[in-house]
Amino acid sequence: MSQSRVIAAIEIGTSKIVVLLGEIIGDSGLNIIGHSVGSSKGVKKGVITDLDKASDCVHAAILRAEENTQTRIDEVYLAQTGQHLIGNFNLGSSNISASDGLVRRADIDAATEDAKRRSLPDDRIYIHHIQNPFSLDGSPVENPLSKEGRQLQIGYWSVHGDSEAVSDSLRVIRGIDLDVSDIIISSIASGTVLLEESEKENGALVIDIGGGTTDYMLYRKGYIVKTGVVPVGGDHITNDLSIGLRISRKNAEGFKLKDGRAYYQSEDREEKVWLIGDFTIGDRQYPLAAITKIIEARVFEIFDIIKEQLVDADLFEPSDIASGVILTGGTSRLTGIEEAAHRRFGLEARASEGSQYVSEELRAPEYSTAIGLLHYALTGQGDNQEQVKSSGLMRRLADLFN
Amino acid sequence: METKTDKFSAQDTAQADLKIKIIGVGGAGTNAVDGLKLDDLGDVRLAAINTDVQALNQSPIAEKLVIGRSVTRGLGAGGEVEIGKAAAEADRNAIARMIGDMDLIILVVGLGGGTGSATAAIVAELAAKTEALVLAFATLPFSFEGARRKRIAEDSIGELRQLVHGLVPLPNDVLLQEGEEDTSVLNAFAVADHWIGRGVNSLCATLLKTGLINQDFSSVRSVFQSRGGKTVFGTGTATGGDYVKDALEDLFICPLLHLGDRPAQLDCILVNVICGADMGMAKINEVMMQVSKRFGSREDIVFGAVIDESRSQSLELCILGKAEMDSLVAPEPNKISKEPEAITTGLGIETEISVDKKAPRPVHRSKLSKKEQAAIDQDEFNFIDADAQRGYFEKTDRNEYKDEDLDVPTFMRRGIKIKIK
Repeated sequence: MSQSRVIAAIEIGTSKIVVLLGEIIGDSGLNIIGHSVGSSKGVKKGVITDLDKASDCVHAAILRAEENTQTRIDEVYLAQTGQHLIGNFNLGSSNISASDGLVRRADIDAATEDAKRRSLPDDRIYIHHIQNPFSLDGSPVENPLSKEGRQLQIGYWSVHGDSEAVSDSLRVIRGIDLDVSDIIISSIASGTVLLEESEKENGALVIDIGGGTTDYMLYRKGYIVKTGVVPVGGDHITNDLSIGLRISRKNAEGFKLKDGRAYYQSEDREEKVWLIGDFTIGDRQYPLAAITKIIEARVFEIFDIIKEQLVDADLFEPSDIASGVILTGGTSRLTGIEEAAHRRFGLEARASEGSQYVSEELRAPEYSTAIGLLHYALTGQGDNQEQVKSSGLMRRLADLFN
Repeated sequence: METKTDKFSAQDTAQADLKIKIIGVGGAGTNAVDGLKLDDLGDVRLAAINTDVQALNQSPIAEKLVIGRSVTRGLGAGGEVEIGKAAAEADRNAIARMIGDMDLIILVVGLGGGTGSATAAIVAELAAKTEALVLAFATLPFSFEGARRKRIAEDSIGELRQLVHGLVPLPNDVLLQEGEEDTSVLNAFAVADHWIGRGVNSLCATLLKTGLINQDFSSVRSVFQSRGGKTVFGTGTATGGDYVKDALEDLFICPLLHLGDRPAQLDCILVNVICGADMGMAKINEVMMQVSKRFGSREDIVFGAVIDESRSQSLELCILGKAEMDSLVAPEPNKISKEPEAITTGLGIETEISVDKKAPRPVHRSKLSKKEQAAIDQDEFNFIDADAQRGYFEKTDRNEYKDEDLDVPTFMRRGIKIKIK
């Protein structure tokens, strides 16, 4: 047992805090040994707005997870989301230097360096450089080493975030005397574990609709070509219902869970639903149409924004997204959300059944991000094409604190 | 009772000297004032200020002021705030003359355009130098009118809020929810005018009409003691059937009371009741109790009730409330059990009626127990000067995407009407 390390995957969500503990024995496997879920406070739209409140909730969830498993956490992998995350596609190139025209390691390094060269303003920090395929004189190649050509190009989908927002998340974890080994953006974390290799190859759009944000990631020909965050989630649906029906947030949340549907249909006009529904005095009836119209407007808008961003990036090509839309995150439980996605994207859409590698209980959409984090902890350092390694991130973050 | 009522009538004559002026500023403001139907409130003066001579000529309002002829040649500000501002600056003296020597000035303005957005603040600034109590009703543009107009409106409202005693913001997106299902956009603009009309009428009726429970100017003034702060405005009406209950319910679901900064607790609140002669004290009492229970005013509740013979079996309620910025530091949780019977029923009104009207202090000053019921499920609210339509997200950064604020409910931005009855 001396070789085992306990890894904590922590997602500080807008509505929930998920802590998942995994034990890595030796270098090979990982066992999920426990988890805890706590309610979240002080987080809005995926970003910490109240450090003290957020810390209290996170610390409580961490302690509970440790207590449940009778272990101590060695390393933390942390999910990051929020509107501040911005992705860019950066292309790097190098001219093949050797006289025989064969690509050497140095040419690859030069192209890579060129792609990552773009510097950021002081208040921004790179979180991921996600490698996309190499191309040699314009044609894609898996591995250019020792192939012949004149110019080598490599693309990176690079995601950067606001330094202050990122370091706030770190502060929360440091507040309980734990070190963060790495930060992974939520969309990548949840996407990687939910898809089969073949689905990644055929192209798939993973949409993780949480409480405060919607994170998405597009796989195309096996590569992550775009990630994005729409700072809108289930909280917005609740808020819309609360304002539109003029009821409390609590009651609005109740309606969303009890009667909510992601799209409106004309039959809803005829149906009335009870606010509370247990013969409480003062209970009122509302037309179901009011509820579904409010939700539909919001859900359609979320999908339309994602589609718009893909179209703008010239990436919305249905034939390249053959595996369709895969929905996850707490709000993916909303009735009819697959149908809504199908209508807006014109693609097949389904709710994720969760990762096949974990127990039934952990397949709930709320856990996909945290499971992805553990997956990353185990494989992220490996050298594969979907490598989302964030070399140097932690060092740069450490600088923020000094 | 009779003697008390007599004393009231005497007081009413004094009230008649009250100088009230309602000023429409800019195109939309002037339109709204044009449309005011002030049922026999004889002494209220109407006025209009605009840069557009042609538009102003069409207005039936007696007192009109064209500003900035030298700047615009009388052609309007064309949606440009800078031009509107220059126009108002050029005619400061004329504006000052128009607002001089008044007790109450009510500004009516549609924000988002050039003239109204720029001029309202200057009128308010000049009015602030007089003794008058200054209130303003300001409509905010529809989302579909674009981000530019919205920004202009927001800048203007921030400025205005500091200068007047009470500012009632009326977001058109929200008001649209109140019309009939097929309200067209043109009608939707008229909806705002209707709301302004209800507010202004109710206020003036409180002051000028002989009522069951009268309020003099000083008590209205007491509600709006200081400048700044947040003003809350809502109305409810019902006719026939259980009209008391229905009107209260209508008031409680008034969309203006369900914005992000909904009034769990207000510092001062002015409640006006307009009802038929058949309403009776018991029912009025009931209304007062329910309203104070709901809004749990911390300090002052000022009630006024006006009888309108033509309105039997009907009730119109209007509340205007004020919450000061400084009172928001700690809305401390309190567990005072509600024993409302002891507070307002019967007794409350006796106090009210027997009060000497010469007192400069509010007539009615019942310390109502702060009620938690209304606040139970509500998050702490915070009165930053942000757009009130964002609800729960009010405190967070703007969620701008392609010129829209995603935190504002989608259905509102798209003008989708939601029927909740």
